[in-house]
Amino acid sequence: MPFGVTQNMIDSYGESIYQLSLNRQRRRGDPVRLLDYDAVEEQRADMGLTDTEIAPRVGLSVDQVRFVRVYLEHQHYRIDQHRKLFHLGGGRRWREDKYEDPADRINYPEAGMRVRAALTFNSAEVARFLTEGLWGEATLDTWANQATVSRPNAPMLIAGKHSMSYSEVHAQVGAIASGLKGLGLGRGDVIAMQLPNTVEFVVGHLAVARIGAVLQTIHMPYRAGDIASLLEHSQARAVVALDVFRGYDLASMMLAERCRLSSLEEVIIVGQAPREARSFWSLAESGTPLDQHDRAVAADPCLLLYTSGTTSSPKGVPLTYQNMLGNIEAAADEFEVTEHDRILSAAPFSHLYGIFNFHMALSRGAAAVLLPAFTPQDLGQAVSIHQPTMLFLGPAHAAAMLGQGLINQRDFASVRFSVFSGASCPTHVLESYQAAIPASAVAQLWGMTEIQAGSFTRASDPLSVAATSAGPPARGNEVRIRSLDGDILLAGEEGELEIRGPSVFGGYLDNQEANAAAFTTDGWFRSGDLACIDNSGYIRLTGRTKDLINRGGVKYNPTDIEALLMQNDAIDQAAIVAMPDPILGEKACCFVTLQPGFDLSLTEVCVLLEGENVSKVKWPERLEIVEEMPLTPTKKIIKGELVQQLKSS
Amino acid sequence: MTQGFDPIEVRSRIDAYCAKKGALAIGVADVQILERMSPAGHGPRALMPKVRSVISIGVGGGTAGAWAANAKTLAYVGDTETLAYKVAYGLAFYIESAFGYRAVFCPPDIDPEQGARVPMQSMKLHAEVAGIGARSMAGDILLHPEFGMLYYSSVFTEMPLASDGPMAENPCPHPSCVEMYRKQGRTPCQKFCPAGCLSGTIDADGRTEESCFEADKCAEMSQQYEAIPVMLMETLKAKDPLDQAMALYGPERQAIWYKLSIGAGELLALCFECMRVCPIAQQAPLSNPLKRGLARRKAAEASTEDRGE
Repeated sequence: MPFGVTQNMIDSYGESIYQLSLNRQRRRGDPVRLLDYDAVEEQRADMGLTDTEIAPRVGLSVDQVRFVRVYLEHQHYRIDQHRKLFHLGGGRRWREDKYEDPADRINYPEAGMRVRAALTFNSAEVARFLTEGLWGEATLDTWANQATVSRPNAPMLIAGKHSMSYSEVHAQVGAIASGLKGLGLGRGDVIAMQLPNTVEFVVGHLAVARIGAVLQTIHMPYRAGDIASLLEHSQARAVVALDVFRGYDLASMMLAERCRLSSLEEVIIVGQAPREARSFWSLAESGTPLDQHDRAVAADPCLLLYTSGTTSSPKGVPLTYQNMLGNIEAAADEFEVTEHDRILSAAPFSHLYGIFNFHMALSRGAAAVLLPAFTPQDLGQAVSIHQPTMLFLGPAHAAAMLGQGLINQRDFASVRFSVFSGASCPTHVLESYQAAIPASAVAQLWGMTEIQAGSFTRASDPLSVAATSAGPPARGNEVRIRSLDGDILLAGEEGELEIRGPSVFGGYLDNQEANAAAFTTDGWFRSGDLACIDNSGYIRLTGRTKDLINRGGVKYNPTDIEALLMQNDAIDQAAIVAMPDPILGEKACCFVTLQPGFDLSLTEVCVLLEGENVSKVKWPERLEIVEEMPLTPTKKIIKGELVQQLKSS
Repeated sequence: MTQGFDPIEVRSRIDAYCAKKGALAIGVADVQILERMSPAGHGPRALMPKVRSVISIGVGGGTAGAWAANAKTLAYVGDTETLAYKVAYGLAFYIESAFGYRAVFCPPDIDPEQGARVPMQSMKLHAEVAGIGARSMAGDILLHPEFGMLYYSSVFTEMPLASDGPMAENPCPHPSCVEMYRKQGRTPCQKFCPAGCLSGTIDADGRTEESCFEADKCAEMSQQYEAIPVMLMETLKAKDPLDQAMALYGPERQAIWYKLSIGAGELLALCFECMRVCPIAQQAPLSNPLKRGLARRKAAEASTEDRGE
């Protein structure tokens, strides 16, 4: 440093020099005007001294003082203060308590930034989404507010014997959001929720959205072993859960997780909250004011849903409002949803399909009929009592209803439209369903957590199309079929279904390995579904790539065989998986659940298939009769677990 | 006094010249007083050794439209010091050509030997001693009872002129401000300063007892000399390329580079909020250019009537 200045000199004298130099003009009386020279001289030091005047006072040279002063000024002076001006003038006056520094407006916590960082979209694609209006500015909060303003007294939620209007739900959402904010939760924070399809789920979900936080759903059947890795991976700051579910003490389990995880700060319980946790509804008493800056923008992540993956490598799917809302609008348009509809989802809201259905009701200001958890009896009863106009089901839901004859026993006359998703729907199930409810049009929707509603048949499509196809892509989405060798296939050829478009997510949270596997080098999402696309652009799902059986080099898709087997009176559900074979590599093993009173042998299976002219190479070579199939929350058979059962046996 | 010229006529001609060029108030400060009041090295003789007179010129503040605008607009158009400098620059030439005395336009600039915040001369001091402004509680901004807030410039000349004294009364604090102070403990300028740089007390007689202007706080908002080096330091320190780029090109910073590159006189500068709420600056009889224009037009009409036209 010049002039013999040292860091120690700066440290020792700097603050004194800075204070002496400060032009804090402290004036007593009016000495200049009154020509009071003594007072002027006496007050001179209060006006800030020049370097020349400071030097003798501190025992340094003028040059040293100047150097040190400038160094200190650099450390002291803040910049960018002029933005305070932007709030002034034109009749507005300065109010310290009303000013908000832009830098303080939004406080994104680290975890929130982490979710945001996982959103990687292709810029050219984004430009297209924006230009074509596929991505907009709406958020769930926008939709909820619009519906509340336009239809304040219209029913929003129908749960059991109770109905809640949009304005009532809006008030509760505001109160709970205020409580969440009062806990220090806000923009970008992940808040996990393990609740059935109840009022608390909806209120909690919209409250989380109101404060710009991200909702992580947890499926109700999950227990500590499933949940621990998910909460750890998401770094959720709070979790909302039932106190007890089917005898399992969720509250205690969540409190134990809070002890284990430093990121988890709050456990909020619906029901009887232990002393160490907070009661969900007590949040409504917070009174913490909400403001405009709490609100999310459309590009913010809204949901963090976990799909398949392993404990060590969970696959968290962040979805933005832009991802979701345009896709929902597109489906609502095609399904001709109006504010007069009452929508019932048999799928849980913890699953993309379930929450998609609720959002669809919200998009139109329609009513959502809440079915806390699916059982055939409960669904039948809910339909009879609440008269929904739209049903969103999985094939297994419908099969169970049909199997128990409930559709004929109950009053389904109100249902004008039924949507099937969650798994490829066997044609005979859909045809039987439609035959039982002739007034209801049916549609089939192909969806995944990562892509939402990738495609769906249209309301105008005849049953023959809806029963055999997943429809054309949703608005803005593009699909293609690729062979396992990587070639793009023509219409009618079977291969892996790939998709890109506005509803496709932007990448798994902190899982580069999964991202690398999920996306092609040119940015298409590899669905893992086998399909072919006809000349009209309609998709026919044929199976899963990982379910292909490779018998001595002959690869085939067992889905058609499963469908054939399930048409047999003895068989309730059938799933064919590969089992290792030292010679052929793989052989087929068929798992079945049987209808009550029936029995089945492998020979009978083979005879059945022979009668259907199925090539012998595709016949199962082992039969496993099980009590029940392992199912996903949307009642899709988890073949991976069947493979594990084979390995362990 | 002024060799070969009638001193009254000289002053009259100077006043007329300045008024024609746009000045509202003219005063002559006593050099002796200024020498005693100024810090060492900053008296008039430090700049012009044989100076005999310091002429202080005041021009009006912003237009009525500027005061009605929002603050960011006012920050650009509220200051009229350029007009004051123009008058002073012309006056220096005028004195030399009309009266044959050396004159210099007093540089309204910093003293390069003393750093960014020390002026070469205090034009505020010149104006106050010349009696065309008195220090207010609003950061010692000078106020004139008739014209409100003025911008000042100075001309030094070796021509001897009779000096004017300081104002007999200080218009600040205004009675309404005293009343507000009694009720709220703050004057309007103190209350509405966005930088929080004003404080002070008023005595029982309604006069300023103590007035404090924390100029560093005001400067942070209005004179961002440090902005450029701070930006560069932040750039050097930034580890992340995005932070590095934003330190230079961030939305807050772009305006500063822009103003620097076009040579704007200030980086953003001067919020004027204390003057926006000052009853003297806003309500003095001729503070408002609209009122001044009206007064001029009425005077012209009266003159026409007097002439019987």
